[in-house]
Amino acid sequence: MDKNRDADGGDQTPFSDWSRAVLHVDMDAFYVNVHIMDHPEDAGRPLVVGGKPNERGVVASASYEARQVGIRSAMPTSSAARLCPNLKIVPANWERIQECSHQVMEILAEYGPLEQISVDEAYIDLSEWPDPETAAVRIWAEVRERSQLPCSVGLASSKLVAKVASDHDKPEGCTLIPPGGEAEFLAPLPTRVIWGIGPRTAEQLAGLDINTCGQLAAAKIESLRAVFGSQAESLKRRARGVDSREVQTVRGMARSISQEWTFQHDVADPELLIARMEKMSNRVARSLRKRNLIAYTIRVKFRWDDFTTFTRQRTVEVGTDDANVIFQHATAIWEENWPQGKRMRLIGVGVSKLEKPASRQLEFDF
Amino acid sequence: MKVSCLQENLAKGLSIVSRAVSTRSTLPVLGNVLIATDNGRLKLSATNLEIVITCWIGAKVEEEGAITIPARTFGDLVGALPQEQVNLALNERTQTVHISCARTEANIKGIDAQEFPLVPEPDQDNRIRVETDVFKHMITQVAFAAAVDDTRPMLTGVSTLFEEGQVLMAATDGFRLSVRSAQIPSHVGEPIRLTIPARALAELARVINENQEAIYITLPEGRNQIIFDMDNIVLVSQLIDGNFPDYSPIIPKRHNTRAVISTAEFYKACKTAEIFARESSHTARVRIEPGDEINPGYAVVAATSSETGDNVAQIDANVEGDAIEIAFNVKYMTDVLNVIDTPQIALETTSSMEPGVLKPVGDTDFVHVIMPMHFGR
Repeated sequence: MDKNRDADGGDQTPFSDWSRAVLHVDMDAFYVNVHIMDHPEDAGRPLVVGGKPNERGVVASASYEARQVGIRSAMPTSSAARLCPNLKIVPANWERIQECSHQVMEILAEYGPLEQISVDEAYIDLSEWPDPETAAVRIWAEVRERSQLPCSVGLASSKLVAKVASDHDKPEGCTLIPPGGEAEFLAPLPTRVIWGIGPRTAEQLAGLDINTCGQLAAAKIESLRAVFGSQAESLKRRARGVDSREVQTVRGMARSISQEWTFQHDVADPELLIARMEKMSNRVARSLRKRNLIAYTIRVKFRWDDFTTFTRQRTVEVGTDDANVIFQHATAIWEENWPQGKRMRLIGVGVSKLEKPASRQLEFDF
Repeated sequence: MKVSCLQENLAKGLSIVSRAVSTRSTLPVLGNVLIATDNGRLKLSATNLEIVITCWIGAKVEEEGAITIPARTFGDLVGALPQEQVNLALNERTQTVHISCARTEANIKGIDAQEFPLVPEPDQDNRIRVETDVFKHMITQVAFAAAVDDTRPMLTGVSTLFEEGQVLMAATDGFRLSVRSAQIPSHVGEPIRLTIPARALAELARVINENQEAIYITLPEGRNQIIFDMDNIVLVSQLIDGNFPDYSPIIPKRHNTRAVISTAEFYKACKTAEIFARESSHTARVRIEPGDEINPGYAVVAATSSETGDNVAQIDANVEGDAIEIAFNVKYMTDVLNVIDTPQIALETTSSMEPGVLKPVGDTDFVHVIMPMHFGR
């Protein structure tokens, strides 16, 4: 017996005990690298994918060379161009981006249950693998090899830590956080890296002299409770890397669907605004139908030329996925809230209170 | 311009053209109605750029002239006037129309008639004649099936084919299809294939004067427009560019079950189901049971709402073929049953996932196809 036990001990795997293993895969500067794949001559230069500066476009993705001079995504491309005079700005090639994304996701799906977050980001559950660390490294290399696109991965026992890990060593990083090492890994990092801690919470924490995850994990629960109430425990848990969210293979039902449009020049022409709302209503309805959802609340987002922004909504009795119904309500809301002649910078149409109806209307195939 | 007419005629004319007035346009003249003297009559015209409606009313013309004035203001004013003679006089210099009727006087500021869009004239020689009642009936049976939302603009139109002595109309919103053919007195040489906006046809059906025997259709060269001439009313519509989808393959060629049902009873059963179907995406289940030696066949229409409750209605049916249960959007059912005027209809089905076909019994010129609703996904 004893001998047997020894033998077992000798066979013990050198790997850590992964009762749950989650890999977060984040493509590096995805839009930029998709572009470079088709235009290798653009490699190595400051480059952004985004809208044109004279059309109020924003940066969708910036190359690492562009990031070095302080260019970030969501920055107006006009500001980016000012930061870097020899910046090349190219439009996003959505077809190629979708195609590449699809290819990457197919590779990832071979390894385990996949939760796709966006075109360039996904979680994979690797718990079934006897050795998740080897699988993680293999995925990291295989994506690069098969798709020709670089990515960063993070492996941990939870989604929260996996996501922080994938960002830890970007680009082309592969960060593995063994079980038990979560708190130690997070400790020196700013609280902002934690899922659910936004600028406002971070500021409140800083007010308590808490700037790192380590400080948050060690903070007295009473002082946290005074500011965050019932959220205090959960904050503390997350700072240690505890996060029980599962990898959801089928994406949870959307809570809202919306479209918005920033005009190149502020607009006060009712016909233009109505036409834009009509287009957006059609798109919103189309994505409702695509997801087999109906909506009970229709809303319109307003932004005036002075950046004042607000949303007005109304709820309908019969859920709808009909573009015309959405459009009718959107224009009615808009009419009630639009002082004639007021210049608008942005207009948005959205729906919420979504429901999956029990039956679905079939369509002709033509 | 100096002209007088009866309040009654003016009010009627304005109600006909007012539907073409653009309600939300940045071009002020499109919110106006054109008033012009024309060969001893008064011409009224309005447009929203998609359609133009013009109508002529009897008037006594003392001085020729033309002007446009805000349709809403003018319509409201005329509606408030007593049923007497209305005098209109245009002050050319101020572009203001002076209106007097009995003891009421008013002035309405106008915009120069030159700014009103040019309206094409019907061609008196090269035209297609259709019978008013036949054409109106066709529109009623077809246009409602067109798409309301313009995600696919082509589907907001009614496909119309003139070929030899026949006209064929079809409309679909992607979920249902309505097709009707009719004989026409004209003989068309080369087939003419058009897509007419369903909205324009609905307006046409509304303004058609049933006492008028025929409608004359002309297609002005190179303008992508269609003109419906009804003597004292003319409607011009833009046509929709592009190819209407080929709908013939979606009309099922065979069926497993055919149920002949009373149109009125089926309509009533569907209307009742609608009360409960409202809250479940308008879903109603239709079950068809063939009869045997003892029991006659029947159809059951049922709807369930998790919130309000449920209902079941059974109606007699003459069933050939297998029993079937199939779900439909009950609104689509009532829409079509509402425009069928034969006492009986035939519902032909193949499976719960394939389209159902409704045909008026004894009228082979009309067919309506509805895609079912599918439970679970």
